[in-house]
Amino acid sequence: MRVAERTTQDAGAPAGVSVEPALRPATRARKRRGVNREGLEAGRRSTRTLLWILLAVAMVLYGFPFLYLLFTSFKTPIDTIAVPPTILPREWTLENYTNALGRSGVVASFINSIQTAIISTVLSLVLAVPAAYGITRYKTLSGRIFIMAALVTRMVPPVAIGIPLASMMATMGLSDTPIALSIAHTTISLPLSIWLMSSFFEAVPKDLEEAATVDGCSRIGALWRVVIPVVSGGIAVTAIFAFLASWNEFLFALLMTAIRSQTTPVVIANFQTQFGLDWGSMTALAAVYSIPVIILTLLLQRKIVAGMTLGAVKG
Amino acid sequence: MSTRKTINRFATIGGICTAVALVATGCGAGGPSATGSAGTSTVNVLVEAGGHAELTGVAVQCKKDAGVDVNFVELPYDGMFNRLSSEFSSGAVSFDVAALDSVWLPSFKDALQPIDEIFTDEAKKDIFPALVKEANVDGHFIGLPAWTNAEIILYRKDLFEDAKNKADFQAKYGYELAAPTTWKQYQDISEFFTKDGMYGTDVKGGVETEWLAHVLQAGGPMILDENNKVVIDNAAHKEALDFYVSLTKSAPSGAAQVDWAAAQNLFNQGKTAMTRFWAHAYRQIPKDAPVAGKVGTAPMIAGSAGIGGVPGPWYLTVPKATKNTDAAKKFVQCAYDHNSMGIESSLGLASRISAFEKYQDKEGYESFGPLIETLNGEATATRPATDKWQQIVDTVLVPMLQKAVAGGDSATLLADAKKQIEELVK
Repeated sequence: MRVAERTTQDAGAPAGVSVEPALRPATRARKRRGVNREGLEAGRRSTRTLLWILLAVAMVLYGFPFLYLLFTSFKTPIDTIAVPPTILPREWTLENYTNALGRSGVVASFINSIQTAIISTVLSLVLAVPAAYGITRYKTLSGRIFIMAALVTRMVPPVAIGIPLASMMATMGLSDTPIALSIAHTTISLPLSIWLMSSFFEAVPKDLEEAATVDGCSRIGALWRVVIPVVSGGIAVTAIFAFLASWNEFLFALLMTAIRSQTTPVVIANFQTQFGLDWGSMTALAAVYSIPVIILTLLLQRKIVAGMTLGAVKG
Repeated sequence: MSTRKTINRFATIGGICTAVALVATGCGAGGPSATGSAGTSTVNVLVEAGGHAELTGVAVQCKKDAGVDVNFVELPYDGMFNRLSSEFSSGAVSFDVAALDSVWLPSFKDALQPIDEIFTDEAKKDIFPALVKEANVDGHFIGLPAWTNAEIILYRKDLFEDAKNKADFQAKYGYELAAPTTWKQYQDISEFFTKDGMYGTDVKGGVETEWLAHVLQAGGPMILDENNKVVIDNAAHKEALDFYVSLTKSAPSGAAQVDWAAAQNLFNQGKTAMTRFWAHAYRQIPKDAPVAGKVGTAPMIAGSAGIGGVPGPWYLTVPKATKNTDAAKKFVQCAYDHNSMGIESSLGLASRISAFEKYQDKEGYESFGPLIETLNGEATATRPATDKWQQIVDTVLVPMLQKAVAGGDSATLLADAKKQIEELVK
């Protein structure tokens, strides 16, 4: 606006009033720079606006199902099955939460889920960290074959290994225990953990370790004192993925658990019966079940971001 | 340095958590004793989540009567078949009693113990004939029906009793508006109420049982005859399919995707004037639903062969692999003796005729009279006893119905279905 005003003044300078000739080119240049800067600013602003819009669309796409679940958990029974569906409850109620949490076995299933997820996460990390370190540092052919083979296990449909795994656990006397389920869940998260950790170890310069060994560290000492602190963000990311894989897993839990170790995903699924679907209670329990994961993610947010960007500073 | 401290802290916390979790898993959070303990008075009962409530009262009574403690293992319907297959095939079962959907009995018959002693002459008289027949596999009774269901007619009593509707209907069709008893009446009433944003009925393209009930009403055995010959292309099947499809013009669009849940929602929301639905739904209409208190019940409609429905019973079975046979059979006996307790549950069903009759005149149980009449219907029959049934339903019947309600030619579709089923059962 100010630029526009100045331009008008210059153009309309009264006759006889001389404008310093020496100043003219500089003024023009300033004006041009001003116009360019304004143009750049406007361009940046519109790019930013576009990004925000895209971000908002993505947020809505990802967040809407969860928000819908959350709103449904506060709806009355008739609202949950409204045709056409409504997004917001017409009448807010906590009845679904009372029903869901009052159902027998829900609290026990939460404890089972926590136990199973913790054991599975620790198992995954304990196995994946040394495996990934060995593969990335020694770069042997067998290591490369191993990491590809680990990926192949992810390509097998879980149901194909679920039934044999259940039989194996029964043979070992581990039926219906969180340990059995944790081991089963580790088969899902371990390949992913190895791959993730490998990429994080790749990003750590070898010089760091060599410096540590020069300072008197053993190989294991260098790993523990130098490398692992550097990839702690990556470990956090891997832990979150392993925890989530176990926390949300359904099929193995269905096949391997009964009275003592049933996890919450199976209990949530139990709200859909042959005789009807209790949407309200189901969504209420699902909403409660998602709280620990949200808290965990928020607590480890910094580490996760650091882990995500670890590869970006490579070299 | 601080990062190292953090790592150490995480490692310590992780170690402690794992140790605690490992110690805790020694007994598991569920708490009860180990499954299938030999010779104990505790039984583990595997049950579909919806049926759990049906047996809760029985379990309490069984503890008093026979000293048998019961632990329930609830599983969702969709996963139960896989779980049963897995455990039966491994030979190590985690339960002593399993409540099985009737369609699974033929698949698991070799893994189940006979329970002939429970089927006394008196018991056989008190259980619906179709169920007595279905429970008997290869000369032995292998399952006690714990509860049963069948489709009846649910209709909007308020709309049917409305004076204007009555007069208009009489003028248009020449007979009095009342709960339908025949196919023709069902078609007429459906057509009549399809107006002003409302539909006369629903058509469920996503499930097969309703069409099969019409096949029975038309006089046919369902899909396979007594010699296991595929008869899906006969006149009864075609007649039933044509009737089924004819209702699409009086039903909401998208019939191919309509299943039980969708149809129940439509009716409870007041979008349809009638529905053919499982009897338990009458007692499950939400109190705040627009149709609450306005619903009437009637037996399933009749075709040329009379009233016909497909019973939906669940059977209590005792696996051969259990180490706790005595207590398991005691529980099954309790379930028979106190069968009427299921009626007081949220599902509100039983399997003994005497149990239904005891309640049928009570307020709130108006669906029982029509249910008894349907289960005793002359054309009522259970599904064919083949271990391929679930496969036939999933891969042939439902896709065929979906094509039919979307406008496919019924004769061609039935002929194609015959070929596919013959491939499956050969």
